[in-house]
Amino acid sequence: MEEWDSSTKSALTQIPLLSIRAGPRDGAAWTQRLKEEYRALIAYTTMNKSNDNDWFRISAANPDGTRWTGSCWYVHNLRRYDFLLQFDIPVTYPATSPEIELPQLDGKTHKMYRGGKICLTVHFKPLWAKNSPRFGIAHALCLGLAPWLAAEVPILVDSGMVKHKDEEAPSAESCA
Amino acid sequence: MDSELLQLQRQFESAQQAKSSVRLSERNVVELVRKLQDLRLIDFDLLHTISGKEYITTEQLHFEMVAEIERSGRVSLVDFSDVLGVDLYHIEKEGQHIVCSNPGLMLVNGEIISELYWDGIGEEINEKLQESSQMSLAEIAAQLHVGSELVLSVLEPRLGTIIKGRMESGQLFTPAYVSRITGIVRGACRGITVPTNLSALCNSLQRLLHDINGSNSVSIENSLFHSIFSALVKEKDILGSLRAGVHWTPAVFAHAQKESVDSFFSQNSYIGYDVLLKLAIAQPKQYLQIPRRHCVGQPFHSSIRVEMLDAAIQDVIEHGNWMNALSLLPVYVGGQDASKILSLCPSVQRAVKSSEAIILGEFCIFSSKCIKDLLDLIEKEMDTLTFTSNDGYRPDMNSTTEIKYESSSGKHSDIQQSFDDGGSTKHIPEKGSKKKRGKQTGSSKTGQSENDSGTQESMPSKGKSNQRRSKDSISIESKGSIMMKKASLIGLSEEWIAEKILAVAPDLGELGGPDDPYAMLSTLSSHLRPTLMESLEKKRKILLQENAKRSRQLLDNFQKQLDEAFLDFQLYERTLDLFEDDPTLSVILHRHLLKALAAPIVDKLIQTLVIDNKLRNGIEIEVSENLDAVQQTHANRSSLIKSLPDSLSVKAQTVVEAFEGKRVNTFTAALKALVEESGLILKKLDKKIEKSLLQSYRKDLTSQVSSESDTVVLLPKVVALLYLQVYNKALQAPGRAISAVVSRLKDKVPEETFKVLMDYHSSTVTLLSLQSAATEDDEDCTADRILGKKEYLESKMPQLKGLVLKPSNSGT
Repeated sequence: MEEWDSSTKSALTQIPLLSIRAGPRDGAAWTQRLKEEYRALIAYTTMNKSNDNDWFRISAANPDGTRWTGSCWYVHNLRRYDFLLQFDIPVTYPATSPEIELPQLDGKTHKMYRGGKICLTVHFKPLWAKNSPRFGIAHALCLGLAPWLAAEVPILVDSGMVKHKDEEAPSAESCA
Repeated sequence: MDSELLQLQRQFESAQQAKSSVRLSERNVVELVRKLQDLRLIDFDLLHTISGKEYITTEQLHFEMVAEIERSGRVSLVDFSDVLGVDLYHIEKEGQHIVCSNPGLMLVNGEIISELYWDGIGEEINEKLQESSQMSLAEIAAQLHVGSELVLSVLEPRLGTIIKGRMESGQLFTPAYVSRITGIVRGACRGITVPTNLSALCNSLQRLLHDINGSNSVSIENSLFHSIFSALVKEKDILGSLRAGVHWTPAVFAHAQKESVDSFFSQNSYIGYDVLLKLAIAQPKQYLQIPRRHCVGQPFHSSIRVEMLDAAIQDVIEHGNWMNALSLLPVYVGGQDASKILSLCPSVQRAVKSSEAIILGEFCIFSSKCIKDLLDLIEKEMDTLTFTSNDGYRPDMNSTTEIKYESSSGKHSDIQQSFDDGGSTKHIPEKGSKKKRGKQTGSSKTGQSENDSGTQESMPSKGKSNQRRSKDSISIESKGSIMMKKASLIGLSEEWIAEKILAVAPDLGELGGPDDPYAMLSTLSSHLRPTLMESLEKKRKILLQENAKRSRQLLDNFQKQLDEAFLDFQLYERTLDLFEDDPTLSVILHRHLLKALAAPIVDKLIQTLVIDNKLRNGIEIEVSENLDAVQQTHANRSSLIKSLPDSLSVKAQTVVEAFEGKRVNTFTAALKALVEESGLILKKLDKKIEKSLLQSYRKDLTSQVSSESDTVVLLPKVVALLYLQVYNKALQAPGRAISAVVSRLKDKVPEETFKVLMDYHSSTVTLLSLQSAATEDDEDCTADRILGKKEYLESKMPQLKGLVLKPSNSGT
């Protein structure tokens, strides 16, 4: 856990851990698991809000709660960069972590798999495996996506691969 | 679908929709605030705390400070700064604001203190005060950490309301304590009967209390004592007067003092300052100036006393006497006071104005009659003085010793009487008594009259004056004859007059004060002096005139005598020419002549000159008839010469010297010079006079020879007669020159005559030598031989006489 910064670690410790080992195909157990996922997400969101560190919006895209969509953002140089966010709950969940996708950044950085799935650090998977089934979606966002955005967005913005929407719009208009 | 799940979904949704709290950095906020101020969105003073992390508005600060002040009542501004975290500057500013707007607050030494606080403190103090009954303001101030002045100003309005007690110069006291001390002080003050220093009283009270109650007892503060004391005086709780703030004179004492002064005054009709001082009246003059009933001018003398004195003085003036005012006044009345009182006497004022009396030496009154009498007496004294003082040849010592002797030996009773009389008549002397006294004085002075009367009678002019006076004067003279002479020459000294007065009226001498017994006398004498001087001057003038007459007479007489003597002298001088060839004989003859004839001339001359000189100087002198009686010695002469004026004195000296020499010529010259200097003439011998003189001389000699019976004396006379017959010259020769002189006659007289002469001479010589040898020898044969010789000479005498008388008879 040495790789993450102090704020990330403090946030992680405050997210309630989950207890039910159940995947999407486990029926009622999954429902229970999903309830726990919600609780964890609510705690995390509340925590973020209270720390003025709100950075994402997600919601379940299907009633089973196996696909999630939303957006995330990052402030760099007093500009907010917004990205779409989506991921599926794998069948082997919670043994396997969900693969978070940022489709808008697909192909713009090599820290990404095809299809816009972000490359998580080497430390993420062992930690997840070690903490399965206690980690959930909230933990995945906290440990996976947040550090990735903090590391990659400044580089992308500086290299010009990602532009602010205020700048994009006029250029798009001019292109159009 | 599980409702719970739905619920969670909604919850999650709402959590995500919830507004995120905004977190700003300090820097951002500071910038924001500045932006707001720039934009004038904040248009009031915004203060920030010392930490710099907070903004605070002045209103809030004000609010918080007021709240704090109300809570604690007394807050230090520094404490505000610490508590509120606001800079002291703002705190002070706001503090002043608060204090200004709220009259119940005060800002003292960086502290804001409310009246309520002081009320509380006042109650606290009151509690403590009631416990300990006295507190010092300094103590309170030290406890409260404020200045004692502040404490004083704060506590004063609360005294009597919140604080039950009274304040006395930095001390707070409870009423009980004060009343207790008041009781002590009142008791002490009422107990005092003599004037006391208050501080001493206070100290003794303190000591007393300490002794009684031990160290932790009540102690009387000095200031409290004083305030209580003055309050007591004001309330007439204790009676008396306070002088200079410290000297307390109880009314009892003042009353007693006044009583005793009054009683003394009514008894003695005066009161002296020293009496007042004894009665502890520090400033008697002021004390007496408080109007008192029977005071006349001089505050401590009643009119009765003045009247008494006045009557006495009136009496004195009427009777022409004098008196010493001091004798009628109490002993302690000093000279100045006495003169003041004198000036109060109406009779004195009147008399002085009409010059009937005179005040001398401040307190002695002399009537002018008395003064006049005194003057007369002294003038008489002066007469005798002028006569006696010139009584030149009478040695003063003689009279002095006589007087002493007489006074000691005789008439004690007389003296006693005079003293008694003087004592009794001293203050009311009358004219008669005065005279009597004078007489007594005279007699008491000595019974000198007997031994002196001879002298007096020999002084012609002195006889006129009162004998008594003269006696007095002589007695005085004997005391200080030198001084008196001086006085008579120069003028009258005051001392002399004083002595005179003393002699005339001895009781006057007793007048002087103890410090200067002669002060009175000297004032009197200085008063009399001018008059006396005047009369003396007059006297002297008369005397001078008389003297001039007398000196003329004297000189005339002398001239006659001188003429006679000098002619004789010249006559004999001529004869000396005969012996010029024999020097030794000549010298002897010269000497003899000088001694025999010149001496009287010189003495007479000198004496006359001296007398004349004195007369000229106005000194009364009695002419003594026996001027030439005494042969003067050399010393005598020179001393007389010294009294002559310079020019005369020098010449007289040369005359005396020449007179003691060997040559008649030099003496004659010197004598001539002196005589001319003194205004006389030396008559020269001319032939005619010489002849007549010789004639008379021969006649004289002849008669002498014929009547002469002494064998020895006969010879020179015979020889002189022979010379007169032979040489027609008068010879004056001493005995030892006789033989030489006789031998000169050898050729001139017949052989026989010469032989007789020689024979007589030789036998005379042997007789004389025998006589001189046999003066005291035992009886050998000399007596017989003398007798024999005498007989022989006597037998020869007729022969010798015959020698001379015969030829003269034949010659004439």
